[in-house]
Amino acid sequence: MKARLRFDKEKTSEPIIASVILRTKAPINILRAQVDEGTGEVLIEVPDDKAESTISAFKQMGVDVHVGRFIELLREKCIDCGHCITVCPVDAISAQSDLTVEIDQNKCVDCGACVDACPTRAIKLSE
Amino acid sequence: MKNIRTVDQINEKISKGTINVVTAEEMTEIVKSNGIEVAAKDVDIVTTGTFGAMCSSGLFLNFGHADPPIKMDHVNLNGVEAYHGNAAVDVYLGVTKMHPERNFDYGGGHVIEDLVAGKEIELDATAYGTDCYPRKSVKTTFTLQDVNQAILCNPRNAYQRYNAATNGRDDVIYTYMGKLLPNYSNVSYSGAGELNPLTNDPDYETIGVGTRIFLGGGIGYVTGHGTQHDPTNKFGTIMVQGDLKQMDPKFLRGATYTNYGTSLYVGLGIPIPILNEDLAKKTSISDEEIKTNLLDYGIPRRGRPSLKETDYAELKSGKLKLKEREIPAQPLSSLKIAREVASTLKKWIDDGKFLLASPTQRLSVTEVCRPMKITKEAVFVQNIMIPTVTCNIDEDTETVARRIIEKNVNHVVVVDDGGILKGIVTSFDITKAVAKKEEKLSNVVTRQVVTASPEEPIDSCVRKLKKHDISALPVVDSEKKILGIVTSEQISRLLGE
Ligand code: SF4
Ligand code: SF4
Repeated sequence: MKARLRFDKEKTSEPIIASVILRTKAPINILRAQVDEGTGEVLIEVPDDKAESTISAFKQMGVDVHVGRFIELLREKCIDCGHCITVCPVDAISAQSDLTVEIDQNKCVDCGACVDACPTRAIKLSE
Repeated sequence: MKNIRTVDQINEKISKGTINVVTAEEMTEIVKSNGIEVAAKDVDIVTTGTFGAMCSSGLFLNFGHADPPIKMDHVNLNGVEAYHGNAAVDVYLGVTKMHPERNFDYGGGHVIEDLVAGKEIELDATAYGTDCYPRKSVKTTFTLQDVNQAILCNPRNAYQRYNAATNGRDDVIYTYMGKLLPNYSNVSYSGAGELNPLTNDPDYETIGVGTRIFLGGGIGYVTGHGTQHDPTNKFGTIMVQGDLKQMDPKFLRGATYTNYGTSLYVGLGIPIPILNEDLAKKTSISDEEIKTNLLDYGIPRRGRPSLKETDYAELKSGKLKLKEREIPAQPLSSLKIAREVASTLKKWIDDGKFLLASPTQRLSVTEVCRPMKITKEAVFVQNIMIPTVTCNIDEDTETVARRIIEKNVNHVVVVDDGGILKGIVTSFDITKAVAKKEEKLSNVVTRQVVTASPEEPIDSCVRKLKKHDISALPVVDSEKKILGIVTSEQISRLLGE
């Protein structure tokens, strides 16, 4: 499971992720981290069996947790050209044998590189 | 070549329901297993298809007259400006015209897609008013069914083949061939290879003025050879038109190329009657036989050098070999929808709904496509670059400061003993360093240097200077050996700003 964590500046100095790992014993994989002036944003991956305990641990620490799909391919807009496949840094996009293009949510790291490459604006980075 | 059947005989078979029609991909397989002779006897028609962005496309619309009537002067359709240099209520909407605020996200191509999808379009027109057409403005909404005519017209369609694109710069570039990653990291191409219409009739034996075709899900016609038709170099094009009211949004889609512009994806298919064995052979062409060149779109010039010759089999494999590397390659056009075009056309013929039309005139086979005539030559980096003042990374900041004053320059380029670019320092960097008593040049040098090449146009330098907010570009060759420098001062003087 992937989750996006958001927390405000006061909290960013605390080792939030480390304390959650200690508490839940969940191996948390950090896919992307960005700490700006106002807020911090981290994209993590945890094994599904640890998902629930991890989420509630973060919530207890005052972290805003968002779980769900981040990158979305709008089927009715996509023309299956394949251009997005070539710009994905982690090979998360591929064409099936009938040439239908699909994004593998498990591989996607939510980088957004494919969004502005799509000629029909069929890829949305949903909040 | 002796003909084995005529278009009239073919149409008779279509009407009787005894026609044998296959797609161009199927034909390639049939000839491979049965040979040309048998294939020519068995197959009456080969259908082709393509689905790609066709930037030359546009739409002629006639709205009928309002009461009181208006001679429209400025016309916007959903906020996209349409051309109005013709009769009172006729307009022409080009697919690359962009919405002034929505930019790349919405343009003429999207208005056409919305029209075909049955959506309401806002019309906002103004006029100066005449004695016979007194009205000065009109605001209304309309759908495709409300207009008298909506004629899709494509002056340059169905390129016989097209270059493949990659990017050798160290920046991402956004082009009409899509998003091209730095350092040759992806390849984009266009066209459906062996399914492409003109590829299957490369000498235009059966495709000519009056040929009936599949256009955007409806029926269209070839009206002549297209603009930039270049048959002697096997870069032929056709001009087509069709009634938008018959078309289907599945085969006409607005396109967006970030930082480049908008366009329209058009589905186009042409039936090729197998009149003789020669045509059976031509329609059996396979992807391996269709060659094209991989060009570096990082070079902003007309004559881009070819990095290698490739073919559609390699391109369609999804990987392209370039100097020991395998680069992901994908089209910007849709092969999946191109196949649907060819199979839909095949079905129309099978169902007796589509008859073939013999061309009334052949397309030109001798035209050549020339470059633009320019009365004032463009300026390139090599025309204006000046020698640069250099230094070595081991020198101290004071020595460099003295050199800056002595030579009266603002930029000093750091090079190694072989003259290879290692960095750049500005007079500002050096002033700051001296003031802070920083002696080591290596602590103030900028190592990530944006550079120019001698063949680069000045316009491209202006874009780079602006994008990176810098004031000079060292000029280097492909080995990063320093050749000179161009500065924003020089360019401003040249452009008279
Ligand atoms: S680039 Fe867009 S249209 Fe093309 S396959 Fe990807 S999502 Fe679909
Ligand atoms: S968001 Fe990034 S990782 Fe995900 S599919 Fe797009 S390019 Fe690949």
